[in-house]
Amino acid sequence: MTKNVVTARKQEVPLQDDNSSVFLQIMVCISVFLFGVTLAGVLSINAMLNAWNESILGSLTVQIMPIVEDNKDAAQAEVLRQQSKAVEFLNQYEGVEKAEPLTDKQLNYLIQPWLGDGVDVSDLPVPRLIDVKIRKDAEIDFMQLAEKLAEVSPLASIDDHKLWLDKLINFADSLRLLALVVLLLVVVVTSGAIFYCTQTSLGLHRYVIEILHLMGAKDTYVAQQYAHKTAFLGFVGGIYGLVLIIPTIYVVSGLAKQIEGGIVSETSLSMLDWGIIFSLPFFSSLMAMITAYYTVKHTLVKFM
Amino acid sequence: MLAKKSGGRILADNISDVDTIIGMQNVGIRYGQGAEVLSDINLTLRRGSFHFLTGKSGAGKTSLLSMMYLSQKASRGIVKIFGRNIAFADRDCLALLRRRIGVVFQDFRLLDHMTAFDNVALPLRVCGMEEREVRKRVTELLQWVELSKKINDRASTLSGGEKQRVAIARAVINRPEILLADEPTGNVDSDIANKLMKLFVELNKLGTTVVIATHSERLITDFPFPRLHLQNKGLKIYRPVVLDGTERRL
Ligand SMILES: Nc1ncnc2c1ncn2[C@@H]1O[C@H](COP(=O)(O)OP(=O)(O)OP(=O)(O)O)[C@@H](O)[C@H]1O
Ligand SMILES: [Mg+2]
Repeated sequence: MTKNVVTARKQEVPLQDDNSSVFLQIMVCISVFLFGVTLAGVLSINAMLNAWNESILGSLTVQIMPIVEDNKDAAQAEVLRQQSKAVEFLNQYEGVEKAEPLTDKQLNYLIQPWLGDGVDVSDLPVPRLIDVKIRKDAEIDFMQLAEKLAEVSPLASIDDHKLWLDKLINFADSLRLLALVVLLLVVVVTSGAIFYCTQTSLGLHRYVIEILHLMGAKDTYVAQQYAHKTAFLGFVGGIYGLVLIIPTIYVVSGLAKQIEGGIVSETSLSMLDWGIIFSLPFFSSLMAMITAYYTVKHTLVKFM
Repeated sequence: MLAKKSGGRILADNISDVDTIIGMQNVGIRYGQGAEVLSDINLTLRRGSFHFLTGKSGAGKTSLLSMMYLSQKASRGIVKIFGRNIAFADRDCLALLRRRIGVVFQDFRLLDHMTAFDNVALPLRVCGMEEREVRKRVTELLQWVELSKKINDRASTLSGGEKQRVAIARAVINRPEILLADEPTGNVDSDIANKLMKLFVELNKLGTTVVIATHSERLITDFPFPRLHLQNKGLKIYRPVVLDGTERRL
């Protein structure tokens, strides 16, 4: 009810005359732009990480390199010893469901296409392989696993592709963390700006506000007028910001798609992601409103 | 006993009396680090009383009134309005108390960017009255103070006398229990001054406690109300002027 009254007539605190209105809109516009673009980045990174994680999860192959030596039996024994140590280690490793060495028969089967029938792998310097099944929900740091595995068995190594992808995932993860920090900073800085603008405006309109107080207005009454006005400014600024975000995302994702190798093929945003980006003006409006409201409540305590 | 007998009708007995609507005990007020503007003010105004407030320019009339309309806090002593010790009232409570007090400020304090109508409507709107009721009441009252033609004019474009009438309309629109007026008839001709005084007297008959600060000798002699007189930072109270023109201290 009071809301209608406030919108229906001219506001008693003449906020429309404030110079800071324009500043606030530009500020919110820039903030929403930064926020939106960074958020789009975070969401794309999330999508990429999901895709990469899927390919990295599930299973893993560990190789035990052969030793080339004159004493074949001794070399063979050493390789098998290291293999069983590696298997034992892997089976105890957090997140590993099962680690099993491939049998000679299986190895033969793998080699067959290259070397033909009737080859005994035990005579050849081919790597032995361990098939490692990883639990679905496990979060394994492959770099760490590789290091520890090397301690247990110097001949063992994890295949390269997984390690490389793991490094990429770590990098993307820290990038995402950085982006989240940026998002937080944007919110903090914007609230700070709204706080100071509101305080300045309160000082500017002190005379009017004191009259309102003398007429029996509670702080809430003044705070509502500010909340209303600032919510509007926050919304308009947010719309401007959104108008800038959309072409930027298109340009950036267009560039990303030109990268070869399909690494960033998953960057396109989902409908939900777009929904979040399109709702940014509502969030900026809400945030501006809440900040202004509490700034007024906080500041008026010092007034008459 | 004697004091009670002679003064009982004008003043209440003490500031905690149920009858006391405005009470002050050993009140002093100062601005910043300066000397006290008023010292040791003791005052007990009864509900439904009518007082003039006089004193030379700078004697502290506005200062005394501003404590009554809860704009300034006393720098010492006890102030009780509607029986509440103001020192212990929180902000929302002060707001609610102010709604029961109508004030005509010496400098009007109208909102210049708003119309006469919006200015008078202010006390009703801050307490959330419905717009339809606001419209009815404000239009009626502005008609009464002969400002119907100026209803949609910005306050800044009104003459001094017109502003004063808007200020008075705003002070009484909420039918306050206490009406405090600082020189309310200073800028209007004697016809309108009389009419406004009659309004105050009328409100007083309906139960409003009235305090009017004035320099006008004529007002004081024309209307038989007791007088609070500020002099040398202190307060003296005089009985109403009687027909032979003499005035006795209470
Ligand atoms: N806000 C203020 N800051 C500092 N000093 C003030 C303030 N208001 C009033 N004073 C001082 O207090 C004294 C009393 O002022 P006040 O306005 O109460 O007098 P008054 O009786 O209303 O005078 P007038 O009849 O001219 O309106 C004056 O000396 C004035 O200088
Ligand atoms: Mg004065």
